[in-house]
Amino acid sequence: MKVIGIGLVQVWRHTFGLLTPAGTCKYHPSCSQYALDAFRAHGLFKGCIFACWRILRCNPWSHGGIDRAEDAHFGRRRPETERPA
Amino acid sequence: MIAQILAFTNPLRPLEHFLERILIWLHESVGFSWAWSIVALTVLVRIVLVPVTVKQIHSMQNLQAHAPEMKALQQKWKHDKQRQNEELMKFYRENKINPAASCLPIVLQIPIFISLFYVLRHFKATTLVEYGGSVDWLHLVDITEPVKDGWGPLLLVIYVASQLSSSYFMSTTMQGAQRILLMVLPVLFVPFIINFPVGLMVYWLTTNLWTTGQGLVTRRLMPKPEPPDKRSSRTPAKDEPPASGNGSPAASAKTAAAPTRKPVAGPPKRRKRNPGGGSTKR
Repeated sequence: MKVIGIGLVQVWRHTFGLLTPAGTCKYHPSCSQYALDAFRAHGLFKGCIFACWRILRCNPWSHGGIDRAEDAHFGRRRPETERPA
Repeated sequence: MIAQILAFTNPLRPLEHFLERILIWLHESVGFSWAWSIVALTVLVRIVLVPVTVKQIHSMQNLQAHAPEMKALQQKWKHDKQRQNEELMKFYRENKINPAASCLPIVLQIPIFISLFYVLRHFKATTLVEYGGSVDWLHLVDITEPVKDGWGPLLLVIYVASQLSSSYFMSTTMQGAQRILLMVLPVLFVPFIINFPVGLMVYWLTTNLWTTGQGLVTRRLMPKPEPPDKRSSRTPAKDEPPASGNGSPAASAKTAAAPTRKPVAGPPKRRKRNPGGGSTKR
């Protein structure tokens, strides 16, 4: 099932994604890479939610930073100090 | 094939209806022709996005102030892209920089584009029958026909040119092969674009012109020197425990006095108009 999500991200990467310059994303890894990782780690449904949430967070008012799909989970965010640097 | 892919995007129905409503309103109430309604719709969409753009310009100015340090970081990790990114993120965090880039504004444009594609695809069969009017644009093209018909190819050439100019402004931070790739891509998209309705091209053309204009304005605003770090004067003093008995009354008096020192708003200053009348708007 997760192949569907991964396929869609690859379609994005090879079409509209090409038009966006590298360094468009304020996070590391980039949103599309995050989506790929999220689908691989969490499956289609949860991966999709995490990926959408990530894109929503990648807005001009957020601060970016290092944010890995493997660490994604529902609910309360860990405080700054507990997060890996 | 593209239509089949787009057929999966039915959740966009509400957006499609919304865009159609705006188009009808622009046509019926404001009195634009259908083609000019699309132009106006594009301008409306971009006006809604102006706060986002302003925020990005501010971030960019902030980034420029730190450019030398960032360049040093990039140089240091130039063989390890991953590490370079991580170090850069760390640097942003340490210096409280908000990177100018973000994905959401770009991703948001795609649903609008796809919805407009749908609206125009059944335009002749539904909306036009109900409301009538002309589908010509500048007496050259029919907005519901595919780009390859009639004068469409001319529009396509103008579109590619506008895409190049807007990419030029979008890619100011990139260099070398990457930038060239970004410039070549619009040309590679041409075989797909020729089957799109002309109206979609009108939308894309307008949005590119807007991006270019925005780029020109931003370029004029950019050389501004970086203002010093803003420190909020509204920090509540009462949260801090008084260090010693004699220091705190003065501090509290200071904070109490601070709001009263607000400058009284005077009449707005008038600026001299440019006698040449040269405006940056087009």
